[in-house]
Amino acid sequence: MDFGFSEEQEQLRRQVRRFADERCPMDRVRELMDSDDAFDRHMWASMAELGWLGLAVPEQAGGLGLDWEDVVVVAEELGRSLLPSPFLAVTTAARAVDLLGSEAQKAELLAPLAEGTSVVTLAFFEDSDVIDPDGVATTATADGDGWLTLSGTKMFVPWGQSADKLLLVAREGDGLSVFAVDSAAEGLTVEPLQLIDTTCRAARVSLDSVRVEADSRLGTAGQAWPLLARALDAGLVALCAEMVGAADGSLQLTTEFAKVRQQFGSPIGRFQGVKHRLAEIYVATESARSLTYYASWAVDHLGDAASSVAMAKEWAAEALDRAGEEGVQLHGAIGYTWECDAHLYYKRGRLCRNLMGSPDYQRERVLAAQGL
Amino acid sequence: MDFSFTEKEEAFRSEVREFLAEHHDSEGVRADGADVESAMDKLPKLLAWNQALYEKGWVGFSWPREFGGSGGGIVEQMILKQECGDVRAPILGLSYMGLAWVGPGIIQYGTDAQKKRFIPPILKAEEHWCTGYSEPGSGSDLASLQCRAERDGDDYVVNGQKIWTSLAMWAQWMILLVRTDPTASKHLGISCLLVPMDSEGLEVRPIKAMNGETPFAEVFFDNVRVPVENRLGAEGQGWDVTKHALANERSSIAEVTALHHNLDDLKSMAGQCRLNGKPAIEDAGIRQRLARMQSTIEAMRLNGLRFLTKQLRGEPIGAETSVNKLLRTEMDVETGRLSCDMQGGHGVLTGKSPGAVQGGRWQKNSLSWPTTVIGGGTPNIQRNVIAERLLGLPHDS
Repeated sequence: MDFGFSEEQEQLRRQVRRFADERCPMDRVRELMDSDDAFDRHMWASMAELGWLGLAVPEQAGGLGLDWEDVVVVAEELGRSLLPSPFLAVTTAARAVDLLGSEAQKAELLAPLAEGTSVVTLAFFEDSDVIDPDGVATTATADGDGWLTLSGTKMFVPWGQSADKLLLVAREGDGLSVFAVDSAAEGLTVEPLQLIDTTCRAARVSLDSVRVEADSRLGTAGQAWPLLARALDAGLVALCAEMVGAADGSLQLTTEFAKVRQQFGSPIGRFQGVKHRLAEIYVATESARSLTYYASWAVDHLGDAASSVAMAKEWAAEALDRAGEEGVQLHGAIGYTWECDAHLYYKRGRLCRNLMGSPDYQRERVLAAQGL
Repeated sequence: MDFSFTEKEEAFRSEVREFLAEHHDSEGVRADGADVESAMDKLPKLLAWNQALYEKGWVGFSWPREFGGSGGGIVEQMILKQECGDVRAPILGLSYMGLAWVGPGIIQYGTDAQKKRFIPPILKAEEHWCTGYSEPGSGSDLASLQCRAERDGDDYVVNGQKIWTSLAMWAQWMILLVRTDPTASKHLGISCLLVPMDSEGLEVRPIKAMNGETPFAEVFFDNVRVPVENRLGAEGQGWDVTKHALANERSSIAEVTALHHNLDDLKSMAGQCRLNGKPAIEDAGIRQRLARMQSTIEAMRLNGLRFLTKQLRGEPIGAETSVNKLLRTEMDVETGRLSCDMQGGHGVLTGKSPGAVQGGRWQKNSLSWPTTVIGGGTPNIQRNVIAERLLGLPHDS
């Protein structure tokens, strides 16, 4: 029984925190969020050199072969610093390739991904954003020998505008298939979405009869779902970790403010109306943290981690939402300004709350998993 | 991370299961929460259960063997509580206060004579204890207590009043906090006495609670003489004695299994009750609240395992446990509300009413949460603890 991280994992955490402090302090976050693609490719190359992009990628495919727990350590610290990067997108895509792809496909896709030279992202969601095969309307139809045509529209594709390769999920026959497709393919259009949180990026990807080779299919035709669901669950856990980190970041910012801001002759953090709200955020964040850490273990060790993941998302979303909102409120009028960092956490919370299933949706998933 | 148990721990789990199969009468002895009166009805069976546990060395499981415990580790302790909880067996039996508050204090601070005198009857459930802590003027600010004890020869003479004393009507003994030095600072002027409840000048007046039961009492002291040899710890050490005397298992597993049982019962009731013309389990709002309850209980379980891991690694824990106390508060209040809400109009019917659902069990439950929510530190005190000790915010006094 050991529900904690190893010394190596704590070292990794310190390494990421130091990196974020040095390479991406808040003024750099602001520069990136105001830039065109929010993507610092030099920083990305450094992250690849440190091995972070291939943490959970098997060693023979060019990664470090570590566990999803390690991904979660990095994601949490990136979330705390609000560092803009396609880390989650790429790590989730790597998981999908690892679960679905042939050895040859893994070698081809994962090595450049881990090296940071190829940004790969998973395009699963559409206008219907449920975590369910029924939400996929994009079709893959046979188009001559060894070729297929993909048609449809993918939404909320993480960092789609920076991607070199897209893992496109389409309906093929009775089930789902996943195709690794070049972002420059003919008939494929990437439009940036304008998100409420500009430290993150996502795109709409329209597929107008995009011709792909059958070889680009990962796994068996129409059989992708159970494994794909596991990749989505893993991605969801990493998102939760980012949210827990951001909630902690917001709590820290607001707590420090409450210690120094004086009103009525006293730091406002002395007043119970302030300190109790911060205590409640602590409770929510620590609980989300426990659920997230456990879910990170569950996706590696349990056959079905869906309920654990759903509960983590429910709590992480509510913890960050609350930390962000109270962060703005407790700062008073300064909290409403662009200059104060409180709104950056608030916006991250607003974004993550609804991405990959709202808390309400996650609660339904938990009940549905029990047949209720 | 590793959520598996060692071979030795798994062997212990098997041993617990065998013991439960042999000794636990699931119909006769069930943990049904803090309903003292119904527990008293089941007294003979509870005592038999306690005796079987005692012979096994599992009452006071973590206590040293020389005092009749098992010296069990915290993981085994968690396994024991979990397995007992799963079959709804009342692990702590009737000596609840003695086991939770008194025994650990006596083991740590008591004289040899006190250990010999008091520990065995606690383990055998022959003597029951109550705690004389709160006073009318000292609730959340317990250290301001005024009940005083003055030295007179070989006795202390106690005058004052205690209140909210659970089990005072049944207990033979009280662990009592008194002020022995009014000139010392408030925490240092307190001592701890072990007082027979049949002492002359000691009067118990039961207090009726909002659920109609009398779970606690006022206790008055009018020149009650307590021998000096009944002082636990040194004079002025009373605050430390009670502060450090907490049971050492923090995984919350016992609470979590009890909450799980409640949730299972609520889910099955939601399938039977009709709300707004359809089964309550089909109501979107009820569903959301059931799922929220489930994830909160899971959060408590996992928070508890994180605390346990810290303990196993030898790291200090303290204020973090307030996190689970606050979640528990939320659960207890919400259990009462949700259970009645899903009954629709029937939610207003108490046990004696025609048409009452499940004998009015949930209505009673919905009026009983202050026992756990206010007892042992109100939610606002827990929030202060978190804000001040974990977030480093300034004290409000």
